[in-house]
Amino acid sequence: METSNGAPPAPGLITRETPVGYELIGVTKKAAIQLMGSRLWGRFNPNHWDPVYAAETGLKAPIQTGEMSSAYLSEMCVNHFGRNFFVNARMVCKYVAATLANEVITTHGIVREKAPKGDGFRFKVEIWAENEAGEKKTVGWVEADVEV
Amino acid sequence: MTAPETDALRPMTEIQIQQTRDFVNSLNAKSQTYWDMVAVGDELWRDLHITPELVILYCDGVEDYNPWYEGWLMNTWYGEGESPFGGAIVPPMLVSHFVLSVQFDHTKPFAIGSIHTFHDSEIIEPIPVGATVRIHTRAIDKFVKRDRRYVRHEVTVTDAETGTRYLTETRDILSR
Repeated sequence: METSNGAPPAPGLITRETPVGYELIGVTKKAAIQLMGSRLWGRFNPNHWDPVYAAETGLKAPIQTGEMSSAYLSEMCVNHFGRNFFVNARMVCKYVAATLANEVITTHGIVREKAPKGDGFRFKVEIWAENEAGEKKTVGWVEADVEV
Repeated sequence: MTAPETDALRPMTEIQIQQTRDFVNSLNAKSQTYWDMVAVGDELWRDLHITPELVILYCDGVEDYNPWYEGWLMNTWYGEGESPFGGAIVPPMLVSHFVLSVQFDHTKPFAIGSIHTFHDSEIIEPIPVGATVRIHTRAIDKFVKRDRRYVRHEVTVTDAETGTRYLTETRDILSR
C-alpha cells in the first residue's frame, strides 16, 4: 500500500469492485502501560495502569480502556474506507475480553455484505481485535458507503 | 499468588511508588459506584473545544500517525493541516472517548473500577480540528446481566455553534 506522506489513500482501499470475503489488512499495537496510563487515556482509573489496584479488583493485570481498541479498529477502517469512514458510517464494538498490559493486539476485518446504494455500495465489515494467541478482545462490525 | 508490586510493569524509584500509591488512594477514597451515581433519565451535556493539541494527545496514545489529524506539528506548530475534507479533521472515534466525562456528574469524584463494555456509533460528519462540540448524554437504562450491573446511555454530539450533528451513540458501562 503506497501512501502520500504516510496518509491512507483518500478514497480508501475498498472500491465498488471489492468482493464479499475480502480481508482487510489490520494494524498491530502493543498494550504499553505508559500509553494505557497517559492522562488523556486511562490515568483517571487505576484499573488501566496500576497493577496493585487492578489486582484488588480481580484483574490479572491493568487493562486497556476499550476505547483504545476501538481506536485501533477505526485506524484500520480509515485505511480501507478513507474519507468514506467519516461520513454516514457506523461502528459497533463489544469488548468481550480485557486487553492486558503488554499484550500485542492485531485488528482484523472481513467484508461480509455489500448492498447496492445510489451509484455505489454500502459495505458491512465484520471486525475484531485479538491477541497473539488468537483470543478475541473486541468484536463488532462497521458499515460505510463506497462511491455512493 | 503474591500481590503485584506498584513497579511490576515499569521501573520506579521509592518516591515514584509512594506518589503513585497516594494518587490511587486519593481516587479511591471518594469514589462511589457508577451504578449509584446515575439514575435513568439523567440528562447531562458539556462543550468540548477540540484543540489541535488534544487531537495529538489522543492519537499519540494509540500510535495513530495519520497526517489528516495534524493541526499541530513539532517545529511548525499550528497549521491548517490537510485531509480529504480540506483542513485537519478529528479521528472518527475521538469524541466517543470523551463521552465518559459527560455521562455522569463530573464535579463528583470519578467512579473508578467501572468498565466500558459496548458502543454503537453513527459517524455522521467529519469534525474539523478546532471545533467546539456539545456532547449530550441521557441515561436510558440500568440493568443486571449475569450478576453484573450495567448503565446504558444515548449520546448525541453536535457542533456547539452551527448545530451540525457529528455523531450519535448508544453505550454501556459495567459498574463495580
